Amino acid sequence: MDTNTIDYKKERLKYYKVLIGLLLLTAVTFVQPHMFMTESNFLAQMFIAVVKAWLIIMFYMHLRGDKLITWMGAFSLFIVFTFFAIVIGVDIQNFQFKDESHITTPITPTEGHIPTVKTAH
Amino acid sequence: MSHEYIPEIATDRDGNEHEVQGWQDDFYGGKLGFWLFMFTEVLMFGAMFMVLAYYNALHPQDFLDASATLNRLLGGINTVILLVSALTMGLGLLKMRVGDVKGAKLMIWATILLAIAFLVIKGFEWTAEYNHGIFLMHDQLLAESSLPFGQKLFFGMYFTMTGLHGFHIIIGIGLMLWLLKRINAEKVTPEHHILYWNIALYWDIVHLIWVFVFPYYYMLGAGGVTGGH
Repeated sequence: MDTNTIDYKKERLKYYKVLIGLLLLTAVTFVQPHMFMTESNFLAQMFIAVVKAWLIIMFYMHLRGDKLITWMGAFSLFIVFTFFAIVIGVDIQNFQFKDESHITTPITPTEGHIPTVKTAH
Repeated sequence: MSHEYIPEIATDRDGNEHEVQGWQDDFYGGKLGFWLFMFTEVLMFGAMFMVLAYYNALHPQDFLDASATLNRLLGGINTVILLVSALTMGLGLLKMRVGDVKGAKLMIWATILLAIAFLVIKGFEWTAEYNHGIFLMHDQLLAESSLPFGQKLFFGMYFTMTGLHGFHIIIGIGLMLWLLKRINAEKVTPEHHILYWNIALYWDIVHLIWVFVFPYYYMLGAGGVTGGH
């Protein structure tokens, strides 16, 4: 059972500190493509997003100190990574219908011609 | 409608009676169950992000070009709106926990207003894109249009994911209105606030999803980058 024995002012101050951190990171999101890591824009943006997500999860979602849910989350991520990134990733790498697929081999429409879909055998 | 609480009694083999613990007070169980639900949300959006990453890997330049056309100012304003709304929701929960019910309700209303502002801005964005012929099953995104294929994939995913996210915002507004009703009926109180806690968690995950949606769609093509990812 959760208890209400909280120090309101202390907790509120924590919320404001996290808000300032998130606002600063949002500002960094905007200046980053013009100032640093410009050749690795995607990686920089995702890194900032992960830091923001960590702040939200730990402080706004109160996961700090909650070992059970943290481990559940870690396990879920492991499952997602295993099944999506590895199994499906390998499957995509060995995709049999690369030549027939719209996605891997986009159709290029020509004037006055509406492309037809090839059927994969 | 009110119900008188009648405790359930279990008798052990020696004939001693014990009151069965009511699940209504199982705060941690309620929280754990909601986290399980949120993991399914992460799975759903996670799968979408992986599809997006795959398409991006196939058509990097088209993704950069398409991203550069999105309105980063409106996207940024919406980011700040969601950020502040997560604060108001969290502060409202704090107020509820210390017994300030009126303050908690005010914070919920503030969150609802911010959520509506988010949707209105999103509506402006979508309208502008629609007027440029970019919308699901519309003009530029049709198979016969000359828009590069990678950009069609980008915008298809953009409308799907921001649309699904917007749908979550609408559900969130509904949940907050329901929460207000429950608070007014004194079903959610400083002592029994698990519903408030879980709806605040829901709002946080809606915010969390946007934390990744925004940079992936809006910032990917910022600064005139040319495939450096």
